[in-house]
Amino acid sequence: MYFFKLISTLFKVNVQMAVAYRTDAVVNIMLNLMWLGWELLGLSIIFSNTQTLGGWGFGELLALLGIFKIVHTMMMTLVWPNTEKFNLAIRDGSMDYTILQPVSSMFLVTFSRLNIWRLWDLPVAAILIIIGINRAGDVTTPLSILYFFLLTACGAVVIYSLWIVMIAFTFYFTKFDNNVTLLQALLDAGRYPVSVYPPWLQVIVTFIIPIAIATTIPVRGLRQDLSHAQVFMFIGIAIASFIVASQIWKAGLKKYSGASS
Amino acid sequence: MLLIFKRLWQVNWAEQWQYRANLFMYIFYWLVSPIIYLAVWTSIANANGSVSGLTANDFITYYMILLICDQLTSNIILHLFAYKVQDGTLSSELIRPIHPMLTNTLTNDIAFKTLNMIFLTPIWIVLALLFKPDFASVSINGILLAIPALLLGYAINFLLSGTITSLAFWTTRVFSIHEFYYAMILLFAGQFVPLKLMPELIQNIAKFLPFQLFMYLPIQMIQGNLSSTEIMQGYTAGAAWFVVALVLFRWVWRAGVKRYSAVGA
Repeated sequence: MYFFKLISTLFKVNVQMAVAYRTDAVVNIMLNLMWLGWELLGLSIIFSNTQTLGGWGFGELLALLGIFKIVHTMMMTLVWPNTEKFNLAIRDGSMDYTILQPVSSMFLVTFSRLNIWRLWDLPVAAILIIIGINRAGDVTTPLSILYFFLLTACGAVVIYSLWIVMIAFTFYFTKFDNNVTLLQALLDAGRYPVSVYPPWLQVIVTFIIPIAIATTIPVRGLRQDLSHAQVFMFIGIAIASFIVASQIWKAGLKKYSGASS
Repeated sequence: MLLIFKRLWQVNWAEQWQYRANLFMYIFYWLVSPIIYLAVWTSIANANGSVSGLTANDFITYYMILLICDQLTSNIILHLFAYKVQDGTLSSELIRPIHPMLTNTLTNDIAFKTLNMIFLTPIWIVLALLFKPDFASVSINGILLAIPALLLGYAINFLLSGTITSLAFWTTRVFSIHEFYYAMILLFAGQFVPLKLMPELIQNIAKFLPFQLFMYLPIQMIQGNLSSTEIMQGYTAGAAWFVVALVLFRWVWRAGVKRYSAVGA
């Protein structure tokens, strides 16, 4: 309850900041529409040349694009603005004020800035997922749709945890501005099923920077490619990575000694 | 004038050399999407035998050459210049008797490109070992034919990006405008897929636009896929666009500088 109140307050503050820049809303919506058109064109070019991509049909790739957009929105609304603020706070010492507050510092650091206008992509993602599931049609059941949503949530938690670990490294090496570039760079790999990539790239996007867990795995759940045990394994991975990340954050925070000392 | 360029080169080279770690991240960032497209299209070609006559090896060589062409014809003017208009540091460059963008920014961009190529070469060799492209279709003649096209492509891209960057004199949203320009390149330069596989309509529009000179035409020349009429058409369109881009750039630049009043003035 307490956290919901906190989130809604932070949300209100960020909406107030965002409405000061209304033209940005129009520009962002236009850019988002343009990229959506581009992505659909790309998919239609691919499927005018082939029936399946890595064993997946058009509907499944639409659903994948939807999930990709969710992860992408998470990067744009949450990860980038907060990382920018955090890097600055480490360098100029304003991190002191965050730690003084009686709330989890990890929560404050990761949720204090929201790039509101980018959230527009979320309804688009939802529409893509619904159309995608419909077109994939015969392979889905209510259970597989439930798995799909569970696994999407797990993927978001895994990416969130990885982000925490990356920014926690900033406590050790003060000048570590590139902390999330690596994540953003590999994000594009989430647009297509991992099975199309060469083995070395599959290893990177599954185990090192697990973009594939956040994008490909939910669609595999939807297609019932995963056994029940595997679904529970991924839920376990999400919980474990969150616990590990918050421990690394706590250890990193102990290293922080302000900017002047 | 040569001496000016030599000095500017020394300064800008030293400046770019400072940011080696950032550069590495930049290259990594920039490499990922061509490699993804390469993987997607080779997997389709392998599954279906070939795609409209293109085999898996054709796609691998296409994207391996694309990595080099993209690096050679692209530029980072927007990042080198736009902030100078916004924070007013441009003032000190404007009082010099040389064109800020066509001298200082140009040498800085070339220094950045040179350094990039040095980093890219070993990475490219590793990628070649991983993907094992068969460059049988590549000939010396093709490469020689592509060099002027790459130079022309770089010049046109530089002038058009310069024009968009000059819009910073009017608006703070140049980065958004540039995103549209980038999307045009993605669509018409053959970065996502060889233009040959695009819908007929897009191919026809691309013939009248300068973007295919940035990647698609040089790659096709290197691969020896173009007839001499197609090459002539490409160069003619390129020359015409060079003139258009030059006029456009000079016009927008002049109008912009007139509008410019430094921060705080």
